[in-house]
Amino acid sequence: MKYKILILSLFIVVFSCKKDTGITRELPPINTKKSNIAYAEGFKVTKNSNFSVLEISNPWPDSEQTFKYVIINKIEAAKTTFMRDEYDGIIVIPVEKIVVTSTTHIPALELLNVENTLVGFPGSDYISSEKTRQRIDKGLVRELGKNEGINTEVLLELNPDVVVGFGIDGKSKSLNTIKKANIPVIYNGDWIEKSPLAKAEWIKFFGLLFEKEQQADSIFNHIEKNYLEAKKLASKATSKPTVLSGAMHKDVWYLPNGESPEAQFLKDANTNYLWSDTSGKGSLSLSFETVFEKAKNADLWLSPSYYTSMEALEKANSHYTKFDAFKNKNIFSFSATTGETGGVLYYEIGVARPDLVLKDIIKICHPELLEDYETFFFKPLE
Amino acid sequence: MVKVKSYKLSFIALILLLIVFFFVNISLGSVSIPIKEILNSLLGASTNESWQYIIQDYRLPKAITAILVGSGLGISGLLMQTLFKNPLAGPFVLGITSGASLGVAVVIMGSSLFGGVLASFLISEWSIVIAASLGSFLVLLSVLIVSSKVRDTMAILIIGLMFGSITSAVVSVLSYFSSAEELQQYIFWGFGSLGDLQWKELKVFSIIYIIGILFSILSIKGLNTLLLGENYAKSLGLNIKQSRLIIIFATSLLAGTITAFAGPIAFIGLAVPHLTRQIFNTSNHKILLPAVFLFGAILMLICDSIAQLPNTDYTLPINAITSLIGAPVVVWLLVRKRKMVF
Repeated sequence: MKYKILILSLFIVVFSCKKDTGITRELPPINTKKSNIAYAEGFKVTKNSNFSVLEISNPWPDSEQTFKYVIINKIEAAKTTFMRDEYDGIIVIPVEKIVVTSTTHIPALELLNVENTLVGFPGSDYISSEKTRQRIDKGLVRELGKNEGINTEVLLELNPDVVVGFGIDGKSKSLNTIKKANIPVIYNGDWIEKSPLAKAEWIKFFGLLFEKEQQADSIFNHIEKNYLEAKKLASKATSKPTVLSGAMHKDVWYLPNGESPEAQFLKDANTNYLWSDTSGKGSLSLSFETVFEKAKNADLWLSPSYYTSMEALEKANSHYTKFDAFKNKNIFSFSATTGETGGVLYYEIGVARPDLVLKDIIKICHPELLEDYETFFFKPLE
Repeated sequence: MVKVKSYKLSFIALILLLIVFFFVNISLGSVSIPIKEILNSLLGASTNESWQYIIQDYRLPKAITAILVGSGLGISGLLMQTLFKNPLAGPFVLGITSGASLGVAVVIMGSSLFGGVLASFLISEWSIVIAASLGSFLVLLSVLIVSSKVRDTMAILIIGLMFGSITSAVVSVLSYFSSAEELQQYIFWGFGSLGDLQWKELKVFSIIYIIGILFSILSIKGLNTLLLGENYAKSLGLNIKQSRLIIIFATSLLAGTITAFAGPIAFIGLAVPHLTRQIFNTSNHKILLPAVFLFGAILMLICDSIAQLPNTDYTLPINAITSLIGAPVVVWLLVRKRKMVF
């Protein structure tokens, strides 16, 4: 019934608009042009003469849905009407009030100098980026609740121009309620991307929302250049240290699969990640025996889950002490590098700055190549 | 006389089976190790250092944990079924496991909520074990206090379920306010695992386990008398209150520590007593108790061997296997005998 009313009212809107002389119907797409996106697979931008179409094709694992959004300038929007049914949302740019839901979106906003548009965030304690942190402390960013359960009432009161959400399976009830209230929700799929550079390229997505596409392009090009230079530098290394990663939860060892962005970093840093030949979705879950036999003599151990000290690692499970990397204190983690309120910097900034992550790993694995560089995320476990 | 003899044979067979499955369990795992090397490793004479470590410090403690967990849960299930005179009873149904979960949830997720002095206690190594045992003891005690007011056994069961719901509600409130890492830790605890214990923890586990077993042996006479009905038991001179307390103490000690060390392991507590009664066809606890011990241990060893998915790199959560293997066995037995021995 609701839908019928909706469709009916849409028809009324559409037809009544026709009578108005000043307003044009949606133009047939002439001069369409695809935006230059080199790495990211999850989003596509098609430029028409007076608006762009943003397509999000992979917002969560195994999603078969593609979401289409119209991105249109404020002035153009006043003159154009769209068949709302054809699109999942119409976003009028430049966005002046935004709500994002993942800390990985914060650095993109700051790099584009639009952090002052952020009006709400769920779990703002996780945010460490300085400029945004200051705004939170001043009370300019509303707390929207914890984790995925967004406080719908507060959000509706904020009435942002757009909510950049993320879906684990597209069944988030609160995001659906928000959509019904005519606040456009865009699913951000940066976390699904397979390579570090693809993840970082999502800054172009934010560039589009704020009409700062050129700036976004040049920021990304700069990061890409740095990354590729670091990769080239690493290829000159003469040694290729063996690397172990992850840690156990109870008796199962979780570690990144060979196709994951984490493994990509290790490959680009010219190291021998012991599970680089594996594939699949999500992390590998292996038995302790398997990992112990294969990685007992590994030179390095990167990111042992959330452990931040050798002591904590030993206390959690004395099996860890039997690895060579433990005995030689060659364990490095990003978990101890946190912001003022405890958010782990790697999770926030690591996505936007893969060049820094790669350099960190190169510094750890081939210290002779980057003598003056100081690691940003990774620190040795004390 | 004849009957006793046949039990003797069955017991010998069961003990042999236990030994066989113990060795099968040790010899199977993700890493394939030849039999000869396994024996060498057990004797500490293997040339391969990592194989020796895998056998001595991973598989051996895991196999012993499996025996303790299987037998302990079976026995606590048996005690509960007799005490409540209800074939559906078990550590899980009566909220003991939820009580233990609550204790663990408070320790893992509550430290950020409470802070201060409590936090420093909560972080100590054994806090999870203490909290889990305390949680299960408190839940069982409250079920018992309430149940002394009602006579209907079904009502007691429902009360147990209600307590389970209350504790899981508290757990969900706690998890809502906790960080992603704490939540992750709690969820992984909930999968259940046998391979997480090292010798140091196993020592403490065995000591508490043995105390629990001793208390259950103490309660055998009481259990047998309780089967005749409470009034009859009273007339035989049994101190009902005292036996009840001993039974509850033994159960919460066993189920609580097992849940603390190995996580909430489903099904074994409910199924093993039925399995044993169907096969042994008796309700004498002098026979049942050791038989449940053996059956529980054997079943757990088999389940763990399967969960390890021998010669693959992967393992399955033990909780899935116990129900997958155990449930059809109980169904088959009930169908074959056409009636339940209880």
